[in-house]
Amino acid sequence: MRGGGGKTLSQGQAAFLLLLPFLSAYALFLVYPFFKGVWISLHDWNLLAVAFNPDAKEYVGLRNYERVMWGREIEWSLMAAPFWQGLGLMGLVLSFAFYRMDRLSLFNAIALGLASALLVFLPGFHPGEGGRWYDRRFWPTVGNTLLFVGLAVPGVTITALILAAMLSGQTRAMSILRTLFFLSQVLSVTVVTLIWQIMFSPRQGLIANITGTFGGTPINWLTDQQFAMAAIVIATVWWSLGIAMILFLAGLQDISRDIYEAAALDNATGVKAFYYITLPNLKRTITLVVILQIILHFQVFGQSHLMTQGGPNDTTQVLVRYIYQTGFRDSELGRASAMAVFLFVIMGAFSAIQFIVGREKQ
Amino acid sequence: MKHLILATTAATLLATSLPAQEVTLGRFFGACEDAGTDTTTSTGEACIIQSIINAADAELDGVSITTLPTDWGNYYDQIKAAYAGGTPPDVHVMHRHRVPEFAGLGAIADISADLEAAGIDSSDWAPAALDAVSFDGGIYGVPMDFHANLWHVNMDLMEAAGLVENGAPVLPTSPEELLEHAQMVKDATGQDYLAADFAQFPIGVRLVLALMWQQDANIFGEDGTATIDTEAGRNAVTAITQLFDAELANPQLNYADSQQAFLNGEAAILVNGTWVVDFYTAEAAKEETGLDSYYVADFPTLFETGATWADSHMWAIPSSLEGEERAAALRVLAFINDHNIDWARTGHMAVRTSVIESDAYTSLPHRDEYAGTASIARDTPPSERYGAIQDVLNRELQAIWLTDKDVQAALSDAELEVQDLLDR
Repeated sequence: MRGGGGKTLSQGQAAFLLLLPFLSAYALFLVYPFFKGVWISLHDWNLLAVAFNPDAKEYVGLRNYERVMWGREIEWSLMAAPFWQGLGLMGLVLSFAFYRMDRLSLFNAIALGLASALLVFLPGFHPGEGGRWYDRRFWPTVGNTLLFVGLAVPGVTITALILAAMLSGQTRAMSILRTLFFLSQVLSVTVVTLIWQIMFSPRQGLIANITGTFGGTPINWLTDQQFAMAAIVIATVWWSLGIAMILFLAGLQDISRDIYEAAALDNATGVKAFYYITLPNLKRTITLVVILQIILHFQVFGQSHLMTQGGPNDTTQVLVRYIYQTGFRDSELGRASAMAVFLFVIMGAFSAIQFIVGREKQ
Repeated sequence: MKHLILATTAATLLATSLPAQEVTLGRFFGACEDAGTDTTTSTGEACIIQSIINAADAELDGVSITTLPTDWGNYYDQIKAAYAGGTPPDVHVMHRHRVPEFAGLGAIADISADLEAAGIDSSDWAPAALDAVSFDGGIYGVPMDFHANLWHVNMDLMEAAGLVENGAPVLPTSPEELLEHAQMVKDATGQDYLAADFAQFPIGVRLVLALMWQQDANIFGEDGTATIDTEAGRNAVTAITQLFDAELANPQLNYADSQQAFLNGEAAILVNGTWVVDFYTAEAAKEETGLDSYYVADFPTLFETGATWADSHMWAIPSSLEGEERAAALRVLAFINDHNIDWARTGHMAVRTSVIESDAYTSLPHRDEYAGTASIARDTPPSERYGAIQDVLNRELQAIWLTDKDVQAALSDAELEVQDLLDR
């Protein structure tokens, strides 16, 4: 770059100059609010009180974190949550065994081992005799959020992958279908939840009408403990299929036709071709989709807030909704920020695990 | 002459250049698109309040009102966020139970000194209405109504079960009788006795609260001690669960579904508030609705003392509002106060003595059937954590009805959590 004064900018300087608008917006709207959030989480901070009197906050150190995540007389034992801890132990043994059998690289073995160790360690905490969690709703809410992510992410990924594989053709019908499947993504969460609330209604809903014609009794999807989470997952899968499908379609177009033709000569067509050619070639796209979905669905809010109000009995209460209630209904901004920081940490951790595992397999 | 011309020009300039004072208004009650400006014929909360607002916008010189889009479920979150961001609406509706929180922090204005100048006569307010808007010696709003839980009755189903005497429904006087009546309705008609929203909004909570108050108990005392896991709490809950256990009521209906069940003629009683009396009256008059003969009754006394859950809607202005803006906002409050009779058409109870004693008020449909409600109206002790406490109760009670959680366990969990909230 040559300026009027004959000065030249180095490539680095030019890059910095061009990136400056983005960096300043990024710093102002993402980095600063993030650190402000961490700072708020260290205070007893009432939303309204501080708005009217900036001195109404009080520095409390890590007390908000303690109040949210810890309790009185908390103990650790190996038998607190036998299922999860058992699963973790099994993971530890397997990662060691697979590493010895050369089925896993050292890196992956360590990653799997660490995850398993956490699974043994974390669920082991429980209130002992006469003790209790300071916030009895926090960990169950975290559990619900994990369950939601655990159901929605594979749900979206698998459905989108199947749809993409089926609709990747060049015919007119295929392109119309692609548009149709993508359309739901355009709707806002309010519209989506409204549609599904009507669909799930045991009195006038489509689902109830269909089961009714076959003589079945209608399911109270949104108020039955067994179905409420499934209901919001179904609505979510329907809603967020579009982007994942488009990404898979793009990935599919990158796979050379030649490979399929060569495989066809070896008698690998249909499902076989999908398994041995499409899937391995889509690995990067799958990793990307899964990471995007994990980040997206950890932040689930609207579906739970609008369809079930977190109920029944808190079975669909999710983290962001709890953060929202704590911050705005209860005005406890400090506490809410502590939870938000926690959410950031686990979202970051999950994405990191997925990213590392996905890259390693190349 | 020159001076005169100058003066008139200046005056006209001043008069024409004065823009109408913009007043932003926040409210719940739902949306009504074509409310018009006729305050005397609209029906339903949303349309009646919007017609009053439209009329104020049209009739008040120099005031133009913009109704902000808000949503019922998140109303207070929105209002709080607006206050915290320094942009609250100039006028907004709220419940009396929120006064300690909003007035305590200095968010809403003490308007006791402005009332007279604005043409609002607070001596016309019923004592309970004045009490509803008072906090710490000040007046923090203009009351608009008392609303309370009622029993909405399908007289045809009650008649079929033999539960009508002298044109009025026979209502239970004890939990045992409640079960008996419910069985009678089921046997005679095959329909449920009682429907209510036990699955969504805290209508079930209000039912249980009323039954606790009827035993002279409460969920927490003025000293801040939670008292939910008690004999009275268990009695109140089991009075209702016995109906579910005997399959004489369905706990899984939400607000819209329970209302639909009642309007379809599938439940003899619907427990819901004063806000739907005019709507149900209109629905019952229609050919196609299953409900034909509609009656409104006071919440019956199943224990010792009469009590039903009640609250008040009121209008407040932010304390930050000053000068012209404050004057304009107060004119809107005065206009709403003047239209108390129109608002009462919803079924809510009026707050102004002059309205309560008027013929127009006493001759409103069904009004005489629930005249006793005003004297049994109750609410929980004031608390800044009202919303959170209601949510705890709603969650634990829903756990009882919807997920078969043990009553004892649910009540003791609720007590622990409410105590946590009170201690925070």
